[in-house]
Amino acid sequence: MKPVHYFFSRWQNWLGLVIVLIFTVVSLAAPLLSPPNKTTQGAFKKVGRSSDLRPHPPSAEAPLGTLPGQLDVYHALIWGTREAMIFGMFVALGAFVFGVFFGTISGYVGGIVNSLMMRIADAFLTFPALAGVVFLQQLVAVTIESLGGTFWFNSDYHGRVVDFQFTPPPFAVFLLKVDPILISLILFSWMPVARLVNTLVVTLKNADFIQATRALGGSSPWIIWRHLIPNAISPAIVLAARDVGSSVILQATITFIGLGGSSAWGLLLSLGRNWVIGPGGSLFTTWWVFVPATLAITLFGIGWNLLGDGLSDMLDPRRMK
Amino acid sequence: MPPFLQFVIRRLFYSLLSLIVITMVLYAGIMLTPPEARARLYLSPGKGGDRASEQYIQSIIDSNHLDEPFLIQYMFWVKSLLSGSWGYSPTLHSEVLPSLLHRTPATLELAICSLLLLIPLGLAGGLLSGWRPNGVFDGIFRALAFLGTSVPAFILAMVLLSIFYIKLGWFPPGRLDVTTELDMTRSGFVEYTGALLLDSLLNRRLDIFLIGLRHLAMPVFTLGIYHWATLGRITRSTVLNERGRDYITSARARGVRETRLIWRHALRAVLAPALTTIVLSAASIATGVFVIEIIYNLAGISQVIVIAMHSSPDAPAALGFAVYSVVMVLGLMMILDVIQALVDPRVRDEVLKA
Repeated sequence: MKPVHYFFSRWQNWLGLVIVLIFTVVSLAAPLLSPPNKTTQGAFKKVGRSSDLRPHPPSAEAPLGTLPGQLDVYHALIWGTREAMIFGMFVALGAFVFGVFFGTISGYVGGIVNSLMMRIADAFLTFPALAGVVFLQQLVAVTIESLGGTFWFNSDYHGRVVDFQFTPPPFAVFLLKVDPILISLILFSWMPVARLVNTLVVTLKNADFIQATRALGGSSPWIIWRHLIPNAISPAIVLAARDVGSSVILQATITFIGLGGSSAWGLLLSLGRNWVIGPGGSLFTTWWVFVPATLAITLFGIGWNLLGDGLSDMLDPRRMK
Repeated sequence: MPPFLQFVIRRLFYSLLSLIVITMVLYAGIMLTPPEARARLYLSPGKGGDRASEQYIQSIIDSNHLDEPFLIQYMFWVKSLLSGSWGYSPTLHSEVLPSLLHRTPATLELAICSLLLLIPLGLAGGLLSGWRPNGVFDGIFRALAFLGTSVPAFILAMVLLSIFYIKLGWFPPGRLDVTTELDMTRSGFVEYTGALLLDSLLNRRLDIFLIGLRHLAMPVFTLGIYHWATLGRITRSTVLNERGRDYITSARARGVRETRLIWRHALRAVLAPALTTIVLSAASIATGVFVIEIIYNLAGISQVIVIAMHSSPDAPAALGFAVYSVVMVLGLMMILDVIQALVDPRVRDEVLKA
């Protein structure tokens, strides 16, 4: 069976693909599905008085109800999809590019450099991502302070507060534009890609066709770019696909526990966490406070995982036998 | 030297190497900031924040060699780490290392309880479900494992807390409630280790042991379920490959009973890949432990970063936490590796008889 036919012969792969496609469409069509108005801040839109701290059930104005403070759940869900998609793609792409680059170079050079570089990758595997996320944010904060600004973490889900008594220097402006969560998640998810690509490159580089290219006068960059990377890239794409889901879930987790990040889905859950058991003691009296966001996060993870599993089955050479 | 000791020493050496690499990376991160910012890592109590004068900062830069090249600075930093001065944390109002150390037992308690539960259960689940694929048990196991890997731990924790604490009041969050704590101080409860479960047994206080279990039940479950499911899936796919192998068939032909086939022959074959999975996900287990601690308000080492991320910047705490958590992960990996070497016949022969 051809790989593509095999992919579409399993319902799990269909499911994964459909889920991912739906999320993609929603994130592209966000401005149409839920147009922002002048009360919008990030992914949140107010549909009532913010002093009203009771979540209201679905209405014509807010199709999925409101959170305490009258924030529209539907709007946050739609725009959160867009943010999550962008975030996940960036993390996966960053980890993919860096991992492929690192793994190929180290495998191609070989010898002691290779074992050293793979040791570095192994060392990164021992680093808990949460510690890195906190560390990077603190580094940014300290740098801002040393540039003369005042930095204040804000654990009440309002994000950080930065204040300069003068026009901030360009470097500080740049630092505040970069998302430290994004950077640290890239830093802690490239290793599997690098290791995988490395193993492939080490076995490939002595293959006949590479020897032939070298004999014909192919330069090292040419061999790497034209022959090694294209041959090692498809298994790496599979890993990257799974990264999209897992990094979005990790981002939501970090936001939920109040350690930074701006995941709208994570914020949705953290703002509604006191209303999971609604008035009357039933789990589903105020279901709109947590069920939509839970479903979105869970399905996002499931979709990308299924897609990754499907792709990896499809590309598995053992299946061809 | 006995070969086993050689193996342990070699393993220790690799851990040390990883530690050196990762601390170098951490310090390289610090080197990206200007020396004045770096000096804030060395501020002593009472002189922190904006009040630190320029002269004072300059004196710190000089005395800690903060304007020297990377390697020299790194060496000085490692020296200060080894001598136990991990810096003063302004948000915790104490030295970083002691505040990490006295929170460690709570973290270890949670991690060890979860691992002791999830490894046997994951192996058993995977073995039984892979042994008879597409059976009833296999169906239930796969559904549970799918749920376990899909539902994010923090959402599960939030929902469980709402149901079992807010609604039913069965499993409270936190390490202990106030009344028990009062009772403990009044009755002269001795803290031998800091780990509540162990201490209550040493003090012969079964009631406190049970209270401790009640507080740990939900965190352990939430933490364990994801890794249980992952481990179970790996085990299952290994068993699927193994059960058709010649050695199983010949053992069956010899008249070895089916239960013995599963729990002796197949179990040995799946131990190695299963433990390797756990070793490779040690860092993500650590992240999981921290997240669960924060959500369930267990005062483990992650409390340090929660406080550090609450108001004004606190780089010493974050740096100390990073180094400390890497040491913990390396310790966990090392222990699992040694266990694997002891239980896996292939590795054991190599290690013990080489």
